[in-house]
Order: sequence, then structure tokens, then C-alpha cells
Amino acid sequence: MAGILGSLTGLGGATVLVPLLTLFYGIPIYFATGASLISTIATSAGSASGYTKHKIANIKIGVGLEIATTAGAIVGSLTIVAVHEAHASWIIYVLFGIVLLGSLIPTIQRSSSEEPLKRKPDWSTKLFQLAGEYYDTKLKKKISYEGVRWWLAEIIMFFAGVISGLLGIGSGALKVLGMDWAMNLPMKVTTTTSNFMIGITAATGSSIYWYEGYIQLFIAGATAIGVVIGAYIGSRLLLKITNKNIRWIFFSILSFLGVEMLLEGLDKAKVLVIATYIEEIISIVVAIGMISGLYLKTKRGENAAKAA
Amino acid sequence: MPPKQRDIDSITSLILRVGVLSSLSLIIVGVILLFIDGKADGVSISQIASFHSSFNSSYLNPTHIIQGLIAVDPLYFITLGLWVLIFTPITVVFTSMVTFVTSGNRLYIAMSLIVLFNLFFAMLAIPSIIHT
Repeated sequence: MAGILGSLTGLGGATVLVPLLTLFYGIPIYFATGASLISTIATSAGSASGYTKHKIANIKIGVGLEIATTAGAIVGSLTIVAVHEAHASWIIYVLFGIVLLGSLIPTIQRSSSEEPLKRKPDWSTKLFQLAGEYYDTKLKKKISYEGVRWWLAEIIMFFAGVISGLLGIGSGALKVLGMDWAMNLPMKVTTTTSNFMIGITAATGSSIYWYEGYIQLFIAGATAIGVVIGAYIGSRLLLKITNKNIRWIFFSILSFLGVEMLLEGLDKAKVLVIATYIEEIISIVVAIGMISGLYLKTKRGENAAKAA
Repeated sequence: MPPKQRDIDSITSLILRVGVLSSLSLIIVGVILLFIDGKADGVSISQIASFHSSFNSSYLNPTHIIQGLIAVDPLYFITLGLWVLIFTPITVVFTSMVTFVTSGNRLYIAMSLIVLFNLFFAMLAIPSIIHT
């Protein structure tokens, strides 16, 4: 399941995986993040293999932006080593919750259009060769694009790398933000390129995790296998599903897990001690509240569009 | 689309697929061997599979992989599988650098070199810095 969803959203599966492993299987968070980082490489490589073959992902843009993500991943992994040594792992839960919920913001704000608005190419478009094109099987036409604001994407990617190293996730949401919002690339190019990049970012963090002993071979091996099977199915699906559907599935699951992780972290830090079942009820209520809010907003948007 | 671009796409796709498949086969072989043997490297299977086990990757040095494989130690099959996985994306960066070299794209040669530097810095330099 995590494999399918992760592959769909370009998130590498891990944002769903870590909460599942820690909250529902009781695996210690450092082993969960370790297993997750390894599985992230597997999903990313597995699904990116499909995307690159179909020439949707832009490898050049991906490699260019990896400068920042790999540097960020080093900073992030080193920080997490310090956090674990200080026995402050509740920070990871809280951060994880915040990152999960934060990754929903672009979903709320952006209208769900398939093609980005045209933007004037800037100096970085030409210098860093950011133009490209791909064939959309659903719209049945070639879509060409020109990326802009390379420097801004590079800054966002650094933070994506830090988060990836900290939490053992691919931080695809931030990578998508970097390319979708900052560089104005089409959503499909964004998610597929981010998927390709996630593996490289995760490989950087993985080697540091390995020597620190955050990787439990058995858990890591098992999740990697499970996630790849899911991702394989997921990448077949992405080529056929429109962007709008992806957002809805993405939103509901992440909002639930986000609230749940946040509460668990506060519980561990002894800030807010409550029973697990109450945590779950609160998470479900908040998630339903957020989804209905988004639903109403989308409906209003559609009605406004009809009226105009 | 220029032919160079097309090449890099299919090469990348192939490497990623081969990398993931060989890595997963190694992991699967390792897990099967583990269940047959019931132990590995002097550690029992219940310790290895336990969620709270103190046994983890820091006890397995990648430089012992070859001896481990010769001794048919299940854990080293899984270890090798995981390292093949870690190296898969690194190989992709390397091959894209090769295509940038053949197309004479100096800017991107430099950029992929920086990425490779970061990757190997994390793998080789940082562990020894932390543990001193």
C-alpha cells in the first residue's frame, strides 16, 4: 500500500511508511527511519526506471538539483545522530507530524491544472538548460516546458535534503514544491523527476545511517521488498490517472498520519499525555475536518468557475 | 529530442531496473538462508528479527562482505543487497556524468562531480569523523 501511494505522489512511500512502522508495529523510530530510507531508494529506483524510460522525468534538471539535496542530506543525517545521542527522539515525531501536515499546504493552495501557466524564461533557463518536453498519454499530445528560477529551487532542495536525512524520507513534497512552484515545471515532470532524485538523496543519508546502526537488516530488507512490489504497480497507474485524483488520496491519508505523529511526539515529550485510542480519534476527526474543508473549497472554486 | 538525451534515459532506466532487481534477489536469498540456518554470524534469528534488537547495521562492516559471502552467511547476502541498492542511484549519477562528458556539457560535468563528491563524502569521510 505504502508503495502504491508513495509512487503516485512522488513521495517515495516513506512518509506513510514511518508512521505505520512506529505507530502500528511499535518499531523504534531510528529503525523505522532507517528501513524507510532504504525502501525510499528502492521505490525511487523502481518507479523512476519506468518514468525515465517513458522520458517524462528530466534527468538533467534532477542531477543539477541534487547538488543541494545531497548536501542537505548530509546535514540532516548528522543532526539526527546528535538528536539520538541526546535521547530526544520525540523531536523526530513532532517534526515528522509537522512535515506531513506542511506537505498538504501546496495541495490546498494550488488549483489542479495539468499544465502550468506560461512564464517568461529567465537567465537560469538558458544557462542551466532547463527546457524540455514529454508526451502525455492521457492528453495525447506533446507538452513542452521551460523551467525558471533555478536558484530558488536549489535553496528549497537543500531543505528537502535536510528533511530527508533527518526523517528518513525522500521529502518528495518539498522537491515537488521546488520544481512545481519555483521552477514552474509541469506536475508530471515534477513528480517523476523528484522520484528519480529521491534515490540519490536517500543514498547519501543511508550510508551515514548504516554506520550509525540505524538500519535493522531484517526490517529494512522486508520493507524494501514490500515497497518495491507496491511501487511497481503504482508506476503503471500514474501514467493513466489524472493529477486531480492523486491529490485526493494523498491528502486524506497524510492528514491523518500527520496529526497522529504530532500527538505521539508530544506524548513522548510528556507535554501532552493521552491514551492511544484518544490520539487516533482526534487524528480521524481532524483529518475528516480538513478533507471536508478542502472539498468545500474545491466545490466553491468549481462553482465560481462555472458562474464566470 | 536530441539522440543523446534519449540514450541517457534508456541507460538510466536499465541501470535502475537491474540495480533494484539484483539487490532484491540478494535480500530474498539472504532471508531464505536465514530461515534455513536459523542463525547468522553467531546471532540467533529471533535476535535478528526482533524489533528492539540491539543487533543492527553498525555491527556489519561492508568490507567483510566478501568473506561473509564465501562463508554463505545470510546476513552478508542481505548486507550486499542493501549496498547494491545504495549504489544504484550513485551509478546513475555516474553514467549521466559520462553522457555529459560525451556531449561536452562542461557545466553539467562539474555539477554531477559535485553530487558524486557529496555522496562519497557521506560514505567515506563522515563515518570516520563521527567515530573519532
